[in-house]
Amino acid sequence: MKIQHNNPDSCTACTACIAQCPVTAVTRKFRGPKMVGPALERMRLSQEDTEPSLEYCSNCKNCDIACPSGVPISTLNMLARAKSFKNRSHSLRDDMLAHGEKMAKLAEKIPGGAFLANLGMNLGGSLGLMNLAGIAGERPLPSYAAESFLRQFKKFKQQSCPDKVVFYPGCFINYNDPQVGMDFVAVMQANGYEVIVEEDFVCCGSPMVATGYLDEAGEQARTNTELLKKWRQQGYPVITCCTSCGLMLKQEYQELYDIEGMAENARNLYDGCEFLLLLADKGKLNTHFAALEEKVLYHAPCHLRAQGFGLPALDLLELIPGLRVENAGAGCCGIAGNYGFKADKYDISMAIGEKLFQRIKDSGVDTVVSDCGTCRLQIAHGAKVETVHPLTLLRRAYER
Amino acid sequence: MRQSDVIVIGGGFAGLTAAAVAAKRGKTVTVLSKGVGTLTISGGTIDLLGCGSDGRPFASPAAGLALVDPDHPYSKIGKEAVQAAVDFFLDLCETAGFPYRGNLQEMKWIPTAAGTIKPTCLVPKTMDTAPLAETDMVYAVGFHCLKDYYPHIVAKNLQKLPGYDKTYHIAMVDPRFTAGRDVSALDIARWLDTESGRQDCIEQLRNTVKPGAVLLLPPVLGTRPDYQVLQELEQAVRCRIIETVALPPAMTGFRLRNLLLDHLKSAGVRIVEQAFVAKAIVENGRCLAVVTQNSDRERSYSAQAFILANGGFYGGGLLAEPGKAVEPIFHLPVKAPASQTQWSNPRLFSREQQPFAKIGIAVDSTLRPLAENGSLALENVYIAGRSLAGYDFCFEKSGNGVALASGYQAAMMV
Repeated sequence: MKIQHNNPDSCTACTACIAQCPVTAVTRKFRGPKMVGPALERMRLSQEDTEPSLEYCSNCKNCDIACPSGVPISTLNMLARAKSFKNRSHSLRDDMLAHGEKMAKLAEKIPGGAFLANLGMNLGGSLGLMNLAGIAGERPLPSYAAESFLRQFKKFKQQSCPDKVVFYPGCFINYNDPQVGMDFVAVMQANGYEVIVEEDFVCCGSPMVATGYLDEAGEQARTNTELLKKWRQQGYPVITCCTSCGLMLKQEYQELYDIEGMAENARNLYDGCEFLLLLADKGKLNTHFAALEEKVLYHAPCHLRAQGFGLPALDLLELIPGLRVENAGAGCCGIAGNYGFKADKYDISMAIGEKLFQRIKDSGVDTVVSDCGTCRLQIAHGAKVETVHPLTLLRRAYER
Repeated sequence: MRQSDVIVIGGGFAGLTAAAVAAKRGKTVTVLSKGVGTLTISGGTIDLLGCGSDGRPFASPAAGLALVDPDHPYSKIGKEAVQAAVDFFLDLCETAGFPYRGNLQEMKWIPTAAGTIKPTCLVPKTMDTAPLAETDMVYAVGFHCLKDYYPHIVAKNLQKLPGYDKTYHIAMVDPRFTAGRDVSALDIARWLDTESGRQDCIEQLRNTVKPGAVLLLPPVLGTRPDYQVLQELEQAVRCRIIETVALPPAMTGFRLRNLLLDHLKSAGVRIVEQAFVAKAIVENGRCLAVVTQNSDRERSYSAQAFILANGGFYGGGLLAEPGKAVEPIFHLPVKAPASQTQWSNPRLFSREQQPFAKIGIAVDSTLRPLAENGSLALENVYIAGRSLAGYDFCFEKSGNGVALASGYQAAMMV
């Protein structure tokens, strides 16, 4: 069920999106979502129009969340961004940031490649080479895990169960943060589910779309749509634990492409915490939680808020005895996927996150919970605290 | 799906107020919202009732309340409940450290960016015009590059009005914005949120204004629901400051919305953003659940009671279709003139209300919707805000007033 045509004429120029745009709040170089999105889109319908400040849009989706008329403003921006690359080529930096999966696969092919790549990234950062390439040297690039999720998962002996779900790990969990994937498997096992991992899934394409590689992301979309369809037809729900992958697979594919089966697949896609909360609603969630006596702050990723099912992690964590969870509610963290890794966007990214960092410091917690991998990187970098995925806490409560 | 005692559909001023009142009564509340509501960009004043259907101003909102039509939402809500809603709101703002001023017995006339005055009832401290009585010297302050705000127009038109016959000067402040987009009140407010911006602004004002005057500013005194920027500027420049009512995006509504969101968070209210409520599940005159449709699948949210506060034509709570107006979620009857040609009054500046503005859902005294035959349409659904029939907020100056009173009353009834 497609909610929305990409119709700029639904925009009434009310300025709600400008009031809510995190980038607009910290830099005057961006002309703002209303102008760059729907207002200019009307022009683009009749003539080529390149708006230089379009590069400042981070695709964080706060404009879409703000819009009272349901205009997918950020998607209009991404379509325009792709168009703007029709007559110019991408930089090496864009190429690297859009193709994390390709780079990780290269590193994986070499024995000890993850270690060498991490070493290279650290050295590159400290030698200032990253900034030369246009990548922010001030922040660590996400390092590769010694062993990817897929490799760990293959070695792991699951309890076989009649109830099964398919897991879509996504690049970040697979190559950088495999523990989240393993925690998900453990939590599903504790609830009597067996997890199937489809090895042929490819990167969802989110970083490609944000960097203007629309056609290439479309190829990814076609590959994933076929695979998602296969599992849907077998009756298995497909689960993501990365917010941006979830948004891309179920919503942005439909906004950007026209591929047979997308809408049906979307009905079969679940966020991990959402799926578990649905079990709780039916009284089927394993609630044998040990107490976790701590106070944590929860940060809701923008890409989760954009999906329209609330903040299931918050509801889920409240079921753990002793755990005091508070919603930070301090807006966008500023990283927006690969946006904050660009050298020329680093300051903007950190300025956006300042409200959240301050909120974390004021709360005095030492752990912040968030469903999104890049949000966790930004929070660790900006507020110097431990960060975890909500499922990691859930697993802890099961196993303690 | 999860059970709540109360589900509020709509995250505008009526919906957020209803959620706050229901939570205070100990109910578990979920707000389903789509978009951020017009409060984010609007004036943030509570206009209770400015004038009657003949366009003549009332002496006070209370005087007006005694004279409204029986079909007007205020007639259904009743004077006591309107008073209780005002008390609730003032108390909430006071507790949050952002007190509003005003009462039903007094009509406040506040200055606008056009140099006119408009009637209202409850205003933030930054819009209280009391300081004007204490001085003869007024500076209309403008900001370089600020769009749609011309201090000389403010001064020129205001000085003709009773209570505003003072000596006017113009003072300009330069926020020193270099290249970039058009400047709005948002940009200036964010500049004044910063220590360096405030100091710069103070420095510039000290060089141009004399202590003891009143400064009329556009609504730019910071983005947060507190009076720190106001107090710091007033003390440093030794003048009193009044913010005028200006075009969107206006910071005054933005602050109020953030105050309400903070309050609701601490009250344990859940807000689901981007929840596109498409239909309701109704059995024997009771709503059991409402259903959202997003790009993935339908989700149902069940509750004991539902408050519909999703706006009028502008907010999407009402839809205009050829020959009729419809309410798309519950398919409640919508009262509208029989022929669509009678929906609007083409004489824009005649002193007459617009029929389309009065189109809406007819309710009983509990704010529950009525069927065509006047019987109760649904027993556990309550209507609040812009989709109520029988009032033209723009004409009678009751913007945010009906939202406050009906949001309060609906939540008291659940």
